[in-house]
Amino acid sequence: MSAQHLEIEEAARLWAIRLQDPAFEDWDGFTEWLEQDPTRLAAYEAVLADTAWAEALLASAPAPVAAPAVDVQPRRRWWVGAGTAVAAAVAAVGGWAVLDRDAPAQQIATAPGEHRTIALADGSKLALNGDTRVTIDPDTPRHVVLEQGEARFEVRHDAGDPFVVMAGGTRLLDAGTVFNVVQDGDALEVAVAEGAVIYQPGPGEVRLAPGDTLKRPGRGADLVLGRVNPQAIGSWASGELHYDNASLEQVARDLTRSLGRPVRTADGAGKLPISGTLRLDGTPEEILARAGPFLGVRFVKNGEGWTMSPANGAPR
Amino acid sequence: MNRAGDISGLQRVVLNERSRLLRFLAARGMGEDAEDVLHDLWQRVAATPTQPIADPLSYLFRAAENLVRDRRRSTVSRERRHQDWHDASVGDEEEAQGERALIAREQLRQIQQALAALGPRVELVFRRCRLDGIGQAVIARELGVSLSSVEKDLQKAYRALAQLRAKFDAE
Repeated sequence: MSAQHLEIEEAARLWAIRLQDPAFEDWDGFTEWLEQDPTRLAAYEAVLADTAWAEALLASAPAPVAAPAVDVQPRRRWWVGAGTAVAAAVAAVGGWAVLDRDAPAQQIATAPGEHRTIALADGSKLALNGDTRVTIDPDTPRHVVLEQGEARFEVRHDAGDPFVVMAGGTRLLDAGTVFNVVQDGDALEVAVAEGAVIYQPGPGEVRLAPGDTLKRPGRGADLVLGRVNPQAIGSWASGELHYDNASLEQVARDLTRSLGRPVRTADGAGKLPISGTLRLDGTPEEILARAGPFLGVRFVKNGEGWTMSPANGAPR
Repeated sequence: MNRAGDISGLQRVVLNERSRLLRFLAARGMGEDAEDVLHDLWQRVAATPTQPIADPLSYLFRAAENLVRDRRRSTVSRERRHQDWHDASVGDEEEAQGERALIAREQLRQIQQALAALGPRVELVFRRCRLDGIGQAVIARELGVSLSSVEKDLQKAYRALAQLRAKFDAE
């Protein structure tokens, strides 16, 4: 088989893998790839046939008894992994807290720059970003109050016993699994990565699907609905920040929470939307050294924190 | 004809993006049938209950891709039925079925073996992605690995499956 043919097969596999993902968007790119060479379609069809064949056979068999390292507690592994990655990044106390049922309601707070993961009795989990405060009553583990800050919820869904988050005096009802909530004073932001969340259940409720975002700039203010890549939502909890057409202000806010020190934007420091992934490992200086070229800015030390300036502008 | 008033939002997107969708269908090998498939798509979205759809255009492309796959599948199974009928008329049907089950078990065993040889995660990732329909970002989070590791696992799996199937076909 020719090298060129192997190359086409590899590319066809990659397209098939990407297309399989519900978040796939590059349909025009796929069309163009197919158009460039008639053998590509056959290669792509062969991938579909191969994998459908395996899928059908695997579906007839029980799932494997997994190797302990991976499957016994895959979720737990993830949270521990994320916790350690972030702890390393910002030298924070990344901790596990498992709540007892008999304990009284407790308030759990993180310092700026600290990340913490909490396992609830029902199997749901929440990751707290820095400078965040939540109240949890172990008697009602499916009711969490986000007093301040940002949390990513991974909820065990139960239609008969919905999970409720109170934030900024508003009820958010989980109708799915993974979502991120930011509460800053009276401002509230909700973004859904998976499943669905109902904002203020009742008349005039708003149902948010994966990729939907809702912003309420202040109490009683009009709601602003938006769309982002679902993969980018709550990505801070995995030690990375994913962006898909985000503003520089948003990046500054996320860096502030993750580094535990203020990061501001300066006038003229780029209005272009940001897309890509920023890893959060290393010291704040290392993180910013990577972030600078990615964002097209320079970070200038400014008291406790940093200010973003245009990469090639005059120093301020 | 007052069409704009009584067609759904999705149908309006089909109208607006008609040429893009047709180009995709042509590239997907639908050739002369591209218009036909587009018509099916139109009918299908007309029958879809109104519900907010996050990204209508992506939704339509995905629906079009599924229609293409359905068409291919029905062509293939039509051919297979002819073949089976032919086989059955020459051999003993029960015996043929027993043999097919045996072959399927052996193929399944070899699939699992091939995936296991690629590491402890690969079959799990393939199952979560293909059988459970879970997004790759979610699988990555579940396993505590990066998105690109999940993609690499899937690439390894797809590659191994292609080799295995080629081997069976040659036998």
